[in-house]
Amino acid sequence: MAWIKLDPITRRRLERFRRIKRGWYSLVILLAAMGLSVFASFLAESRALIVHYEGRLYFPTFTYYDMDTFGQEPPPAWGMGDLETEYLRLQREWRLERELYQREAAELAGDETAFAALADKYPNRNNRVIMPPIPWDPYQSDFWYNEILNEIQAELDEGDAARAERLARHDGLEELGDAIASGAINGMLTDPEQSLTGDLIGLARSGAMPSLAGLPALPPTGPDLRRRHYLGTDSQARDVASRLLYGFRISVFFALFLVLASQVIGTAIGSLQGYLGGRFDLISQRVIEVLVSIPFLYVVIIMGVLFAPSFWLLLAIMALFQWTAITFYMRTEMYREKTREYCLAARSYGASHARIVFRHLLPNALTPLVTFTPFAVVAAIFALTALDYLGYGLPAPTPSWGEMIDQALQLENREKLWLTLAPFGALTFTLVLVVFIGESVREAFDPKQYARYE
Amino acid sequence: MIRRILLMVPTFIGITFVTFLILQFVPGGQIDQLRMQLAGAGGGGEVGGGGGARVQLEIPEAQLEQLNAYYGFDKPVHVAYGSWLWNTLQLDLGDSFRYNEPVLRVIADRLPVSIFYGLLTAFFTYTICIPLGILKAIQHRALVDNVTSVLIFLGYAIPGFALGAVLSNLLAVRWEIFPLGGFTSVGFAELSLGEKAKDLIWHSVLPLVAYLVGSFAVTTMLMKNSLIENMSADYVRTALAKGLSWRRAVFVHALRNSLIPMATSIGGLLGIFLTGSFLIERVFNIPGVGLLAFEAIQARDFPVVMGFLVISSIVLMVGNLVSDLAVAFVDPRVRFE
Repeated sequence: MAWIKLDPITRRRLERFRRIKRGWYSLVILLAAMGLSVFASFLAESRALIVHYEGRLYFPTFTYYDMDTFGQEPPPAWGMGDLETEYLRLQREWRLERELYQREAAELAGDETAFAALADKYPNRNNRVIMPPIPWDPYQSDFWYNEILNEIQAELDEGDAARAERLARHDGLEELGDAIASGAINGMLTDPEQSLTGDLIGLARSGAMPSLAGLPALPPTGPDLRRRHYLGTDSQARDVASRLLYGFRISVFFALFLVLASQVIGTAIGSLQGYLGGRFDLISQRVIEVLVSIPFLYVVIIMGVLFAPSFWLLLAIMALFQWTAITFYMRTEMYREKTREYCLAARSYGASHARIVFRHLLPNALTPLVTFTPFAVVAAIFALTALDYLGYGLPAPTPSWGEMIDQALQLENREKLWLTLAPFGALTFTLVLVVFIGESVREAFDPKQYARYE
Repeated sequence: MIRRILLMVPTFIGITFVTFLILQFVPGGQIDQLRMQLAGAGGGGEVGGGGGARVQLEIPEAQLEQLNAYYGFDKPVHVAYGSWLWNTLQLDLGDSFRYNEPVLRVIADRLPVSIFYGLLTAFFTYTICIPLGILKAIQHRALVDNVTSVLIFLGYAIPGFALGAVLSNLLAVRWEIFPLGGFTSVGFAELSLGEKAKDLIWHSVLPLVAYLVGSFAVTTMLMKNSLIENMSADYVRTALAKGLSWRRAVFVHALRNSLIPMATSIGGLLGIFLTGSFLIERVFNIPGVGLLAFEAIQARDFPVVMGFLVISSIVLMVGNLVSDLAVAFVDPRVRFE
């Protein structure tokens, strides 16, 4: 509806913007990515999208279900009650049951009582877990190799070698599976040369079974499709892809809020300066000069040291220094526009100051603000990433690209290229889109069409 | 001119007073923190204020007294600020806690490194951007223009320090083509002159790329737009109508006028020497002023923090002044007031 009210000039500019393909597609892609990131909980989350358990459907994305709900047992390593369900493990357990059931059922071939017994043995064979595409939330540490070895160990301790073997093969540990099947595993575990601690983790550490040797590797670990760490994990074993996604959401919306806040403040003060002029203009111009001359990032760091800011506090601190950029433009624009005939005419028929400013001056001065916005967004994303990189941005566990770059530059992580390339790629991707939009908007809104001489 | 310089004085006082206030009065500000550190030195104590979670260094009693004496924390603000300003005007910025040397000397020690990179960045920016801008203006909307536009804006979108991280992890760590960081190698003093130059260049390639990547877009587009505007101006049309060759009309008449806006960006380059560079200096571990200033915050070396702010605000203001002077110099129409 608002479309109809736009004046012809603005509409022509929008038309021109649409025709600049690079900018238009960038806008479409960026809006799509932002839209997706709003639903990040359905894309990257350790809670399942849907659980189908004993005929009922559960949607755990925003709800807490403890392990009892789905009959899951706590991990063998700790065994406490009242833990949240581990959906990824649940999925693996149920899949394993289904596979075992199908295998054994195929061997039975028509024996009804045996079928019933088999159905009792595998009660979860028809239950399903559907995980999000990235089954990790951005805060969760994944020490999965230990977890898997512990699970197999638990089966071995219970004497269920067949199940342990099946579990090993299910996780792609064929050599371990063979060893369990042939019984050689017992000899290996009791030999202190091969396993100092007498269990599978010791075996993996000693390197006696080469295919296990890499398993208890310390994070960060590289991209691993089987475990669905598409971009690997970071130095605290958190999923990189998940953190990138949530980092995108935080950066982009932080930047948008920041630009919005600083433009509102800057427009208000700049307009007042231009419209009122006089002493207010002189004094506020000195204040602005002070703010502009302070090295912005440096003072934000100093304040970061003193406050340890949250999302909104950091936003406020940064807005305190960012609003000045707009005032220069608004001020000169107001100075110029208020002497134009249409403004004088409005005043002569008795329009109030408020009416002159809001109905006549601002609509004329605001349109060009659009051309500044994308570049302000770029600067804001850049500033946030830089602060996070320096360690004075958003507080610690917040998913952040800058923090990941900092990790990548730690001496021990410098060989782990995914830690460098992932945030760099995401940052470049986002900023390039915004810059292309900004460049196209500027071109579309540029009133000058240049003459050329050949 | 004189009025312009006089106006810098209140700005300078404003900047330093604001930062002085921030350092002093914010809850958990320096004196509170120092007190708490001393009080809680035994068992960690309860740390109020917001900054408690961050790493804090112990500051001995003697330094606290020195700090008190220097900043006058025991006196009211305006007195404290007044005495600090008086000291500053006498070029006494206090002593650094970390280095036990006058702040001015600590900063001066690091200055050559920052100036080295600042000058190189400025040099490459202008020698590349001006010809490129001219080319793009002449070839407006042609293939060269479009391709370089995409490249330039790609560069503009990539944050220098992030590119620096990728470059150093790929080219320095993985492929070992370039050194990992630092300004020079360890045994730099013993090298011959030729080897010294080689070593310096060797170390500066990656940081320079990181410094330069984002700096092309603004200057090149400024050059391009300014030339293209002048090319379509009436006086160029007049020159062409008179029968002047196109080449002469563009390269002599339009180009000279279009160089004027470039003068405005000269002063801004001064800022490269100091502020904003601590990101790249930290990535490559270059011991410049920026890194010093950042480490000073981490180490709570407040005299250095304050000294850096003073110097960088002076540099920024002088930079603006230089820009204005440069414009007045190249464009006789601009009267300096």
